Amino acid sequence: MAVSLSRRTGIVALLYWIWDGVDRTIFTAIKFSFPARFVSPFGFLGMLTFTVFIILGVTGALLMFYYQPILDRAWDSVEFINDEVPFGFHIRNIHYHGSNAMVLLAVLHMYYQYFSGRYKIRNEILWMTGVILGVVTILEAFTGYDVIFSERAELAISIAASLTTSIPIVGPTIRDAALGSGFSDFVLRFYAQHVFLLPIVMLGLMAVHFPRFLVFDVPMVMAIGGAILITGGVFPIDMGFKFEPTVPPGVTVPEWYLTGIYAFMRTQYDKFVTGLLWPLVFIISLVLIPFLDRYKKFSWRDRPMVTAFGITSLAQIMVTTYWGFYISPDVSIPLVERLVIDPLFFYGTMILLVPLGFGFTYMMIKLANEAERKSKLVKNTGPQKVATINLSEKWINWLLVALLAFQVFLNIAAYNAALTGMKNISLFLIGIILLVFAAFFHIYRYAMSQQKNAPPPAPVRIVEDLPELSESEVVPEITVDSTSETPKLSDDSTSEEKPKELAPTVPTSATKAELDVGNNNSNLGSQDLTKP
Amino acid sequence: MSDVETKTSEGLSRRDFLRLMGAAGTGLAFAPFIPFGDFMPNPNQASLEKVPVILPDGSHANINTYEINSAQVITYPSTGDAALDAEAFRKWQFIRLPEELGGGKTDTTSIRAYSMICLHLWCLWKYWPEDGRKRGECPCHGSMYDPLTGTAFVGPASVQAAPSNTLPELTLEINSDGFIFILPPKFDANSNGVIGYGRFT
Repeated sequence: MAVSLSRRTGIVALLYWIWDGVDRTIFTAIKFSFPARFVSPFGFLGMLTFTVFIILGVTGALLMFYYQPILDRAWDSVEFINDEVPFGFHIRNIHYHGSNAMVLLAVLHMYYQYFSGRYKIRNEILWMTGVILGVVTILEAFTGYDVIFSERAELAISIAASLTTSIPIVGPTIRDAALGSGFSDFVLRFYAQHVFLLPIVMLGLMAVHFPRFLVFDVPMVMAIGGAILITGGVFPIDMGFKFEPTVPPGVTVPEWYLTGIYAFMRTQYDKFVTGLLWPLVFIISLVLIPFLDRYKKFSWRDRPMVTAFGITSLAQIMVTTYWGFYISPDVSIPLVERLVIDPLFFYGTMILLVPLGFGFTYMMIKLANEAERKSKLVKNTGPQKVATINLSEKWINWLLVALLAFQVFLNIAAYNAALTGMKNISLFLIGIILLVFAAFFHIYRYAMSQQKNAPPPAPVRIVEDLPELSESEVVPEITVDSTSETPKLSDDSTSEEKPKELAPTVPTSATKAELDVGNNNSNLGSQDLTKP
Repeated sequence: MSDVETKTSEGLSRRDFLRLMGAAGTGLAFAPFIPFGDFMPNPNQASLEKVPVILPDGSHANINTYEINSAQVITYPSTGDAALDAEAFRKWQFIRLPEELGGGKTDTTSIRAYSMICLHLWCLWKYWPEDGRKRGECPCHGSMYDPLTGTAFVGPASVQAAPSNTLPELTLEINSDGFIFILPPKFDANSNGVIGYGRFT
């Protein structure tokens, strides 16, 4: 059985040949690793951001087939996509919620790298391009929700164009050149920037930003995809009201990643200062942080000042983001009073958050040090207890079959829901399918790694109901890279120590592609990331 | 070219001369592209001329029938292209002032036409004729405009430095039958104002 699976036909040989040919291209400079076990997603949040970028590229290209970037048609064409085009609702919702996911993942990615000090030692360029990439990502998301040209989009475009005009001296010229001179220009030019200029800039920055080691964790990628679809199913994005120039729009707030800036603007200070200068100061200080951070160590616990500033900025972002959303619902008070945020109160709160952030950081460092001290004591005194789920081979097989059957059921349910017009239910179910696949793949790779490290067959005949799993021929064929793999896996469970000496393996790989991991140990990428 | 020769030469060395020629050639080769920058701003195609004030219902506005203390949206300059006329930059609030501000008269002092683009962040404001309001209000950040002068008196637009606190205005004319016309405006800050930027009073 194993033989028939690994046989090479002409087509397969051709694919291997192509894969090996890629060795001569730039792509092999990037070392992808597909982890064989669960690894913390914090280490590859950037990879997840990129994956969502690809999802957005695909769905965005599909939306371009129907969208019309014309002042009085933009909203109607989006409505057509949403209501009439088969699966247009799905594509639009994946695109919308994907954009939110991308911004969120990018912000999380940045803060994880910030607190773990990864921007040090020759990673400065990666960090700086990353910050710029984040800003462009937000611009991309912003231009995206504007091209619908609903009432809210019109307000957002107005604010963007008028903020550009407010730049001293060069503002009006920049606005005329980049955005044109009226709303019909704005819609068209925002569209051109959304679908071409900004993505090209992002790709260029990515070429610089990509580190050489990347982790592509299939279950986590699937889970993120599933989460986007489930969010789309539960909270499908609405159309908003079509913008009519003779009807002044109602009161709205921007998307969540801009309400922070919106809160600053609502203090009524000069719009250039609040809308452009403060964000610019924040971005520039982020870009410069590798040069301001003089600590020799990496951990957030050893860099109290940097950590405290990070915590403070996070707190300020969260507070202003919420504050930007909040508009008093009482319509009896005049609009000005509902909208204007008292600058003294606002900036007072911002300043108050600084000592609070520092105090919180001090507390967290104390707690973390204490926890580490205790865990060391425990380690020295008693055996380390790790909860594990141990499934026999037989049960793993049944689990995989059951998950497959569940996926078949979900597929039928999702398609049926789409046919009967329950679009968001269908989207939700497809999200569940992706999550189930994430679980399926995790169990699959677990089973494969068990297989790899399986003890050699005992001299006597064992189980007869699953002969293919205990065949001795299988072992050397698949465990090609286990020479480097085994010591690492062995600290998980002591039972896996045996194969190291009992079944010394022979590297028999003909091509790198055979291992589907490049020429490396499958955990190379993640291991490299955890290196200081 | 020997070193000795270079050192002793009085004027420009041959090497520097070549560099200068290279720089000049490169500069001249790319100079014609500088005016290409004019590609980016959209040229304004509409010719500005004296036109009647056409109300949304298609009728020509007349001072004898236009209601006191009311406002309607007019389009100027109108192109006849529905997509371009939907442009907010072509929308003006055409206001007949309330009685107490002189709206009862039948000359041009009783009517106003202000750009609908709020000077703060370019949302569209509108005139509210209700008692106690009788002012232009912006839905976004609550700027309020005096219908008499077009100057903001409350909200973020009012704290902006001149000219960005006063709305652009169209000059109007009334003929002997009471029909109202728009005179060709000059869109700069010292005359009719710049849409979205402001006007010196």
